[in-house]
Amino acid sequence: MVYQIRLKGHLDGQWTDWFDGLTITLEEDGNTLLSGPVVDQAALHGLLKKVRDLGMPLVSVVQVQIDETNPYCSKKEKK
Amino acid sequence: MSAPILATKLYIPPPRPKIVPRPRLVERLNEELAAGCKLTLISASAGFGKTTLVSEWIANCGRQVAWLSLDERDCDSLRFLSYLVAALQTINPGIGRGLLAVLQSSEPPGAEAVLTNLLNEITTLPDNPSAGSGQGFILVLDDYHLVDSKPVDQAIAFLLEHQPPQMHLVIATREDPSLPLPRLRARGQCTELRAADLRFSPAEVAEFLNRVMRLNLSDGDVAALESRTEGWIAGLQMAALSMQGHPDASSFIQSFTGSHRFVLDYLLEEVLQRQPIAVQAFLLRTSILERLCSPLCEAVLKAPVNSGQETLEYIERANLFIIPLDNERRWYRYHHLFADLLRKRLGQSLAPEEITKLQIDASEWYENNGLILDAFRHAAAANDIERAVRLMESKKMPIHLRGAAMAILDWLESLPKTLLDARPALWWKQAAILLMIGQPMDVEEKLQAIETALASATLPNAELDDTNRRDLIGKIAAARANVAQVQGQTEIILVQARRALEYLHPNDLNNRSMAIRSLGFAYFSRGNITDASRAYTEALSLGQDSEDIINILLASIRLGQIQETVNQYTLASENYRRVLLRIDDYSPPNAPLAYLGLARIYYERNDINAAEQYGEQSLQLARQYDQVHDRLIQSELFLARLRLVRKDAVGAAHILSQAEQTARQKFTVDLPDVVAAQVLFHLHEGNTDAAFQLIQQYDLPVMLARVLIAQGDPSAALAVLEPQRQEIEAKGLVNRLLRVMVLQSIALYAHGEKEKALELLGEVLARTEPEGFIRLFVDEGPRMAELLSAAGAQGIRPGYVNKLLAAFAAEPKEQRPTASVPSSSMLVEPLTARELEVLRLIAAGLSNQEICVRLFLALDTVKGHNRRIFEKLQVQRRTEAIARARELGLL
Repeated sequence: MVYQIRLKGHLDGQWTDWFDGLTITLEEDGNTLLSGPVVDQAALHGLLKKVRDLGMPLVSVVQVQIDETNPYCSKKEKK
Repeated sequence: MSAPILATKLYIPPPRPKIVPRPRLVERLNEELAAGCKLTLISASAGFGKTTLVSEWIANCGRQVAWLSLDERDCDSLRFLSYLVAALQTINPGIGRGLLAVLQSSEPPGAEAVLTNLLNEITTLPDNPSAGSGQGFILVLDDYHLVDSKPVDQAIAFLLEHQPPQMHLVIATREDPSLPLPRLRARGQCTELRAADLRFSPAEVAEFLNRVMRLNLSDGDVAALESRTEGWIAGLQMAALSMQGHPDASSFIQSFTGSHRFVLDYLLEEVLQRQPIAVQAFLLRTSILERLCSPLCEAVLKAPVNSGQETLEYIERANLFIIPLDNERRWYRYHHLFADLLRKRLGQSLAPEEITKLQIDASEWYENNGLILDAFRHAAAANDIERAVRLMESKKMPIHLRGAAMAILDWLESLPKTLLDARPALWWKQAAILLMIGQPMDVEEKLQAIETALASATLPNAELDDTNRRDLIGKIAAARANVAQVQGQTEIILVQARRALEYLHPNDLNNRSMAIRSLGFAYFSRGNITDASRAYTEALSLGQDSEDIINILLASIRLGQIQETVNQYTLASENYRRVLLRIDDYSPPNAPLAYLGLARIYYERNDINAAEQYGEQSLQLARQYDQVHDRLIQSELFLARLRLVRKDAVGAAHILSQAEQTARQKFTVDLPDVVAAQVLFHLHEGNTDAAFQLIQQYDLPVMLARVLIAQGDPSAALAVLEPQRQEIEAKGLVNRLLRVMVLQSIALYAHGEKEKALELLGEVLARTEPEGFIRLFVDEGPRMAELLSAAGAQGIRPGYVNKLLAAFAAEPKEQRPTASVPSSSMLVEPLTARELEVLRLIAAGLSNQEICVRLFLALDTVKGHNRRIFEKLQVQRRTEAIARARELGLL
């Protein structure tokens, strides 16, 4: 399962470890996109808890479908 | 009290000196408090000043305050409840006395039982607004989000539902708790402060930066910071710290507000850079510590003595997110958010081996200071298996406390299976802990894992020589015998316990003692008193050799029961007393049996008041351990018997129907005992036919004989009794034998064989006089009185016989008009148990409102009960109801 978690504010790449190896992308509007595979719901909630504990405003959480050839490119966002 | 209650968790943080006062919020909180709302919920993410606000508010709210700072480990609802009790005790040391030991024990009670007890005690606290400080209290649960546990949420929901008016609950949390908030909101019972309320207003931002932090910023700079941080207090504080001593505040603000970087991420660097190198290193390295004190920090930093305290106080003065945990400035902790940031930074600046080294240093310090559990936690965090195992097995590890046992179990369960397979002793540790904390059903899985590991060839030889291997096999068998005991499988107990004793190492006193107790249990269940007694005596002496208090208590209680069986009441009572002396600290699950044993002994000696007192204590404890059967029902049956002695037939019937219901629902093993008590009840009420009908369905020969005697058929009774006597005599069950002999003598007398009857009675008297038995005779009623008079006339044991006859004469007289018709049957429809309860409270002079509080009922419900009570009693008002109820013997 691949998730994209969008946070308000920029986090530098050093936070990758903190977020269990998710890819950190900085967006121009000042948001940070964390994306990558999340094993299950429990792991997802663990991640959200880390976001909560940092006090970073959470913008969105989306589950995305994986493009087989490129696991980090979303084909279409699921509801 | 050996409970590991950390006082620092109960410490009420005093209002901080350098803060922005928030009269607007405090006023709102006070208004809602005065309006009688039940819950104040302060829900906002990290760094919004929740704790600071609450401590500012409560310092001047005029009420007593109990504070509990929660942590992740409070997910264990028993630990949570222990701390809840401990927090309440800071207000009134009398609250929940005895509950703490029970909660720490290996087989603790259910949450609702504990809470009901607590609430009852809170209800009795003074609730008098005119008495100043006596106007109730506030319970603060801080960091509630750290407890991610349904049982704890349910406990709090239960608490709120039944919360007495004296109490107000405050919850501070980063996420909304799973409580029935919509309902509380709808009823106006809940005040909320959320991020929007807590964030600093522009005026507060200005006050903070310019007055509190003395930065003298321009209005434009203040506005820029306000907009960048959106009034987020942690962000503002970090920004202020970064600017203190900064040569050019304006340019700092410019680059800060111009950056998109996460506020704290940006600012942590700034804040750290402003600090001397030594302080930076201190902050980073001590971030692995959950609590900090000077010597511990020095150990972790390898710094000179006393340097730690200086740095800690510097950090506190510099407002660097450190929170004192006591008045002595001894223990501190970092603000959670700050600690998270520091730990993340530590991971970037030190290699993993270096961080491991810090953990080991912390572990060593804790070990040298006798805090073995914390030492263990840091060893586990360092993933130092050897060290963690050594600490886990240390004599100083308070393994009999649930918190320690659970920490070890969690760690063991987190280890990879291959590692456990290579060290089967670790599998065993899990099994042993599961046995101890009362989860016997999960034990077998671990035992099989040991067997698999033992069978595999890859096991390193050093780890398992032949001696250890044999010992493990013995441990497995000992555990199986113990589990079989829970299920009452005597055959398996005998096989496994004997195997255990054959294989266990001679020095493994603990497990040998456990195996021997299992043997004792099997013998006792089979009526083999001699062997059971020998087994428990041996278990006791092993317990004494290894100074294992739990083993000593468990064996002593069982020995007491055996002594009762063989008529050694004096010895048994000394035994139980010794157990009760230690019970406050250790409270093994069998504690009720010691109270009940003493109650039985007092009863036999006709001290009904003492018997009742111990009986009630037994029942109270047994209710708390609600998952275990025999103690509960046996206590109830005992108390029903006392009601009969006091000629309170209604009360007895009430308890018996309750006991029957419980037995039918959960513990069918106990059903025959309940039936025997019911038969006795019918006989007592003169209802011989009902007794006869009931006894037909069960195999209760001694009770049957009693019914037959009552029916006037002594020869049938004698025919039933003789084989019983032989069987019981052969087993050495002296206590039961005496009862059979008493019945035989009554039957013989009724049958016209007076000489034989008196001879037999004389035999019984000779054996019971030394222990002062009375109820054995008095309970048999007028037939026995007659027989004793005849014995007296013949000069048999005149002193004792006269004493017994005097006891007969002193029995309470019947209070009812006719003995055979229970008085409540004069009602059109009998009162329910609840209605009786309400009726008693009415008679005690309680108002409807007070009854609501006492019974946790809504006013309408109580009024409904009143209506039905009046209807059934056919009266109009309270006073009439009381008079009528007295007339009917209901009160």
